Amino acid sequence: MGFELKIDGMAEISEQLSKLETEAPAIAAKALYEGAGVMADSMQKGVATIRTAPFQYARDGQTRMPSPEEKAIVEQAAVGIAKFDKNGTEVNTSVGFRNAGYAMLAGKRVPIPKVVNAINSGTSFMKKQPFVRKAVNSGKAKAVQAITNTILAEVDAMNKK
Amino acid sequence: MPSEYEALVAALKLTEIPFAEYGWKKPPDTNAYGVVSLDFEAGTLNGDGAKQDRAYEGSVDLFYQKLANRTDLMEAVEETLTEILGNSWELNSIQHETNPDLFHVEWVFQCVHNDTPDAGGGS
Repeated sequence: MGFELKIDGMAEISEQLSKLETEAPAIAAKALYEGAGVMADSMQKGVATIRTAPFQYARDGQTRMPSPEEKAIVEQAAVGIAKFDKNGTEVNTSVGFRNAGYAMLAGKRVPIPKVVNAINSGTSFMKKQPFVRKAVNSGKAKAVQAITNTILAEVDAMNKK
Repeated sequence: MPSEYEALVAALKLTEIPFAEYGWKKPPDTNAYGVVSLDFEAGTLNGDGAKQDRAYEGSVDLFYQKLANRTDLMEAVEETLTEILGNSWELNSIQHETNPDLFHVEWVFQCVHNDTPDAGGGS
């Protein structure tokens, strides 16, 4: 009893897979950039939610709110997307204020990440407002979706070339 | 309010470390003190046009002066977190403040609240 199995299109699939091998790193980087952009937007929205009160020195161990000047420093600091670390098809980056630099506050030069951290984690004299954790939590699913959509769109475009 | 959070607050207040919810008006005059808070809604499970379950994220902050028994303090907090929440917490950061000279340890946790009344109310 004879049996014949014929599969069409293997040549095309093979061609597409070999194209994917060469284009995957670029696609991964583009997708990650889109995802990082979503996270940066989420972080900027979080910054807008910081509540402030006019500056006063914390006395008797009482906690204070961030001052409008401190909020302005965080607002004016661009949320940075770190340089991409590429290793084959693996691409890594980080989003945040790590390399935001310095700003002047009450005549002193202060590191912006320190101001962000004081507001986000709180200190013994400042009440915490965890806007970074909240932004990461709310932006994560949207960032993953943006990455997925970009990969699918890029692979689709590659196949149509 | 998630009952796990309420149990956590109650348990932390039973430790030797003075704990307050959402900050102290004036911190106690002790070598160490803590703050516990529920910070935001971290996720929901929706169904039948309503929120069925909600995950909340919160944090525990421990402030202490340079002490010999800091390991004991951290263990007291972590044992309490494990007792109430299982493993749904993590050590988020350890920081140092120069003025006043204090260490600040922050743990982040998540707990679930069941919104469905016929499923036993708040869980």
